[in-house]
Amino acid sequence: MSVQLHLHCRQQPDVVERILRVIRHRGFTLNAMSMAPSSYGEKIEVAVTVSSSRPLHLLTAQLQKLHDVLHLNSQNSNETNIASDSQPL
Amino acid sequence: MNGAQAIVKTLEEHGITTVFGYPGGTIMPVYDALLDSSVEHVLCRHEQGAGFAAIGYARAGHRTGVCIATSGPGATNLITALADAMMDSVPIVAITGQVSREGIGTDAFQEMDMLGLSMACTKHSFLVTDGDKLCQTLHEAFVLANEGRPGPVLVDIPKDVQLHDVQWHPPLDLVSNEFEPASSDLDNIQQALTLLQASSNPIAYIGGGAVMADAIDELRHFLNTTGIPSVCTLKGLGSVAPDTNGYLGMLGMHGTQAANIAVQECDLLLAIGARFDDRVTGKLDTFAPNAKVIHMDIDPAEVNKRRQPDVTLHQPMNWVLSQLSEKLNVSPWTDYCSQLSQQYAWEYNKPGDDIFAPKLLKELSDRLPANAVVSCDVGQHQMWVAQHVGFHHPRNHLTSGGLGTMGYGLPAAIGAVLSRPEDPVILVSGDGSFMMNVQELNTIRRKQLPVKIVLLDNEKLGMVRQWQQLFFEGRYSETDLSDNPDFVTLASAFGIPGRTITHQNEVQSALEEMLASPSSWLLHVRIDAMENVWPLVPPGAANHEMLEETI
Repeated sequence: MSVQLHLHCRQQPDVVERILRVIRHRGFTLNAMSMAPSSYGEKIEVAVTVSSSRPLHLLTAQLQKLHDVLHLNSQNSNETNIASDSQPL
Repeated sequence: MNGAQAIVKTLEEHGITTVFGYPGGTIMPVYDALLDSSVEHVLCRHEQGAGFAAIGYARAGHRTGVCIATSGPGATNLITALADAMMDSVPIVAITGQVSREGIGTDAFQEMDMLGLSMACTKHSFLVTDGDKLCQTLHEAFVLANEGRPGPVLVDIPKDVQLHDVQWHPPLDLVSNEFEPASSDLDNIQQALTLLQASSNPIAYIGGGAVMADAIDELRHFLNTTGIPSVCTLKGLGSVAPDTNGYLGMLGMHGTQAANIAVQECDLLLAIGARFDDRVTGKLDTFAPNAKVIHMDIDPAEVNKRRQPDVTLHQPMNWVLSQLSEKLNVSPWTDYCSQLSQQYAWEYNKPGDDIFAPKLLKELSDRLPANAVVSCDVGQHQMWVAQHVGFHHPRNHLTSGGLGTMGYGLPAAIGAVLSRPEDPVILVSGDGSFMMNVQELNTIRRKQLPVKIVLLDNEKLGMVRQWQQLFFEGRYSETDLSDNPDFVTLASAFGIPGRTITHQNEVQSALEEMLASPSSWLLHVRIDAMENVWPLVPPGAANHEMLEETI
């Protein structure tokens, strides 16, 4: 199953690298990715689409532990209303 | 004040009195600043040794360990120790020098991308490129290393930042974060109490998280009040005093038969700061097959990672355990567990004159005071220590659990004896592991540290040899160490006296001589090369399918 994750992060030079490392190490395939600055350049919004045979919570729980990831939302990428859940997982 | 002086002042501000490290080009300003500070620097003989010494210091003393290294090879030599601290949740702050900012990314001499290298083996890492953020970054590193699930944090600091003038400021006052239970927390507790009251065969499965949460007193009160039998993981050993009624010892691959049988038969498993590690569970889908699970862990990522719980408790463990401490009527089950414990008690009367390592360790354990720290390396001797040495507190047992790092024991013992100078510190090592950080014998000499060393020498990489015997048809590949040096002569080169023993009738006097020595001492023990660690749950098997060899 393919899932889209939205990550609201501190703008740090290494944050995207850390996110990608966790996705790979925890057994997920990165299918798509985009990013854009926000909050006047102090934050960064990262959207990734990932897939795996492993349960999604094994990835999201690890991503949420990253120091510079402030919020994470997920939804099945087949749906159109992205990031409808504003609560951290 | 320059950056290096600010770094050292920040260490002092955080109560750091001892650091472990090795100097080099890009960290020279910090070493210069250390000369004028109250911080004691312990020069280890390899950065990996400095990292493990910081771990031993932190684990034995319930404090933050600090290690320092220069850029490039100095920093990369820290990596294994950082990985070890990551796997075993040890609060470490590693400070590494980096080439000056204009040299970063130019393949400068001794430049290495430590931010990139450290991502997988630290809780977080920083590269300080702005001198104005140096102090706050260091403060943040200390907070991060200790908050929630502890772990290592690396701060990489370019040399020019160390030399640049900076404004020092103390750490910001943190807002008090005392736990106030919400109604959902109380609901969680009620669900757990309901499971406990409905259970007739509950068991507490205790991991390293209990001591990390500083919840040992509450844990013992909980066990005494409820009467629930208990088992410990390798890192949980010492959480339950050895003579506690219903305590069955270590579970898992080399656990006791009683512990593994009881866990397989329980109807409620309380995982207390434990993570269902593969060395504990054996074949996962056969582990405690009929049990409901209450999982207490501060790290949400550990819950439902390997086993789905029925109730999850993320709240502070000491609060949770005090809330759950209600008397239960489980005495028939506790009696049954005690019966298992007696039925599968260790057998030490092995015939012959050879030294039987488990018996020697039991005799050592019986001679040690309750405050003794035993550090060990990795392999057969590590499992024998876990099986046959009684621990009265988990901070008295230093072992590389998650990463399983040979070479851990000697520098960890050095850290422990500096952290707890009033308590005896014993290193139990094997001939394979001992040689991996043997250079740290000189740190013992340099600081005149009274570390006692028991070296179990079978002239083999024993655990690998055991697996080759059992699972690779006896095809022994590169596990012969019969070309070991003369260990007593080697130790004497570092000013450490000792003796070799080969027969059972020498053990008593040798242990007495070692423990009576005011200085460091090496007891070199020759043991049977073909001795195996039993019981053993074979790979891919369930824990009740353990193999045993009877004496």
